[in-house]
Amino acid sequence: MRFLKEARYSLHVAFHPFDGFWDLKYENKGKLRIALVILLAVTVTMILKRQYAGYVVNYNHPLELNSIDELKYIILPFLLWCVANWSLTTLMDGEGKFAEIVIATGYAMLPLILIYLPNMLLSNVITLREASFYYLLESAAAIWFVWLLFIGTMTIHQYTVTKTIMTMLLTVVVMGVIIFLGLLFFSLIQQIVSFVYTIYQELSLRA
Amino acid sequence: MGAYGLKIKRAILFMAAVFIFAGLSPKLAHASPYEGYTYSYWGETVHSPIAYLPSKTITGQEIGIGPWSSPVDMFVAPDGHLYVLDSGNGRIVVLDSEWKAVRQIKGFQNNGKQDGFNNPEGIFVTEAGHIYVADTENRRVVELDGSGAFVREISAPKSEVISSNFEYFPRKVIVDKAGRIYVVARGVFDGIIEFDSEGGFTGFMGTNRVQFDPVDLFWKTVSTKEQREKLIRFVPIEFNNVDVDLDGFIFTTTADKQTSAPVKRLNPSGIDVIRINGNIGPVGDLSTMRSAFIDIDVSGNGVYRTLDSTRGRIFTYNEDGNLLYVFGQLGNQQGTFKNPVAVESSGNRVFVLDRDQGRITEFVATKFGSLVNEANGLYSIGKHDDAAKLWREVLRLDANYEMAYIGIGKSMLRQGEYKQAMTFLKLGNDREYYSKALTKYRREYMREHFGIFMTVLIPLILVVIAVRRSMRLRKGELKQDAVSQGG
Repeated sequence: MRFLKEARYSLHVAFHPFDGFWDLKYENKGKLRIALVILLAVTVTMILKRQYAGYVVNYNHPLELNSIDELKYIILPFLLWCVANWSLTTLMDGEGKFAEIVIATGYAMLPLILIYLPNMLLSNVITLREASFYYLLESAAAIWFVWLLFIGTMTIHQYTVTKTIMTMLLTVVVMGVIIFLGLLFFSLIQQIVSFVYTIYQELSLRA
Repeated sequence: MGAYGLKIKRAILFMAAVFIFAGLSPKLAHASPYEGYTYSYWGETVHSPIAYLPSKTITGQEIGIGPWSSPVDMFVAPDGHLYVLDSGNGRIVVLDSEWKAVRQIKGFQNNGKQDGFNNPEGIFVTEAGHIYVADTENRRVVELDGSGAFVREISAPKSEVISSNFEYFPRKVIVDKAGRIYVVARGVFDGIIEFDSEGGFTGFMGTNRVQFDPVDLFWKTVSTKEQREKLIRFVPIEFNNVDVDLDGFIFTTTADKQTSAPVKRLNPSGIDVIRINGNIGPVGDLSTMRSAFIDIDVSGNGVYRTLDSTRGRIFTYNEDGNLLYVFGQLGNQQGTFKNPVAVESSGNRVFVLDRDQGRITEFVATKFGSLVNEANGLYSIGKHDDAAKLWREVLRLDANYEMAYIGIGKSMLRQGEYKQAMTFLKLGNDREYYSKALTKYRREYMREHFGIFMTVLIPLILVVIAVRRSMRLRKGELKQDAVSQGG
């Protein structure tokens, strides 16, 4: 029952973002587990959408579908966003804690489920001529999501509008920087490993 | 024990027999020096049965007229005779359908003087039997009548739009039904040179557009004037070959490996009207090493074949731009080429002229090839139901043949089998017609099930209204209780 109540609160956040995000931060109404459940649900929704969206709008090659890829396209960006946003806002006088950022971002993703799932069902009975309705709903979901993310970030960190927009844009840049550093790190590790292995090989062959 | 051993022995023998047969059957498929394939909707190569097999090769010696020396063009005349342009020897050899040399044209009387060809590169024969030759090094187009007698010559175009230092080297020539003469010339970027039936220059048609590349544009803007002059100049790509179909549309090819439209179908006003169905146009192989088309042959029903010099393959497309089949290859076996230069077809036979080897290879349609040809022919004239029968035969030979699924799907759509049509059109990846079938199916489905829907929907709405009302009533009661208690 408590879980249901918490889940219903995420709907309240989606429809009344100003009020919802405020209570989420100051009344402790946001729950980390709900945010993580939403994240998981979005991933599942995307997997379902790739597989079961109507043929008329589904341009995925069935042989190339891979559910593991969704981790790359949804969970990784989600984590990157949270880390980048947290690193940036600690330097920019943001008031949000890391958990709050995760919660706000998770709750902001709810519209993706709310619209994508019915839209997926709808796409199975529409024709090419009506496909624009499908794409309209798709973009509506995306806009709603960005809108909630914007309000969420603004409320969590107690920023002004311009500062929020700046922070969000910078967060995207920081995400790129993190990816770059990660790749650099991995390639260096790889080289070190191969270097050590070569030395080992040489020593073992000489001995 | 003995019976058990016998059983095992029998099983082993049976297995051995199976393996022998399994090992033998692919050998039969390898009778051809190349593999058959097409491209799927997703741009992946898909194995397919071989559509055409080499049946014969012919050289000049075999016919008994002396070897051909770098022949570059040939033409199947409307009467079925094959005209081979033996450039190195400056002669035209006419062969009949039994590969007998009917006659040779080595020269002609031009105003009382003996005249001949100098490295001619293109030949065309009209329905009346008149022969047009692009006499390249003599810088003229020569018209001969059916007996090989000189009729006229058409020399370099004269006009104000042509610069004075223009060097005219005609390479290919075609003549449409109205007698207009179209010439593809070496180093001409303005398009095809068009002459009226009197031989007067009327203009250029079908110019290729300059390819736009943002990277090049960037370098051009940042470089100095001196640097810019050293850059390669941006000029449109020249055409390298032409053919004309029965309706008077001109098919052109370009050998450029960058362009996405190496084949064009020009209408009489020079506009490209080629049909491209799906996302891949007629570009040949979909690999980083692109195909370079050097000849095109239009056969009936809007089907055209292009000859690729990169891999020596012949790509056959139907009028919608769908790849039907591929055959041929570079190599040293029969059925492969060293330097293929021209492709022609006549009925179910295809001829490919090899310049370096000086020989013609004749290909004949296999069962699969003729089924596809016939089915596509019926399909293109709109006889979908007759075509569907043949497409089913095609599917028995090649279950991956997408065109066949589309063909059957369209026929089912006409017969009102919307559900099945949807299945087939989905297999053929035709979203447009799938959508049409879905529209029809949806309407049919709704009409059948409207009653059930309504009988479920109306009580459902009534129940919802009733529940909400009762809940509101209870809430009201609770409020009243609270009020009375408070009071």
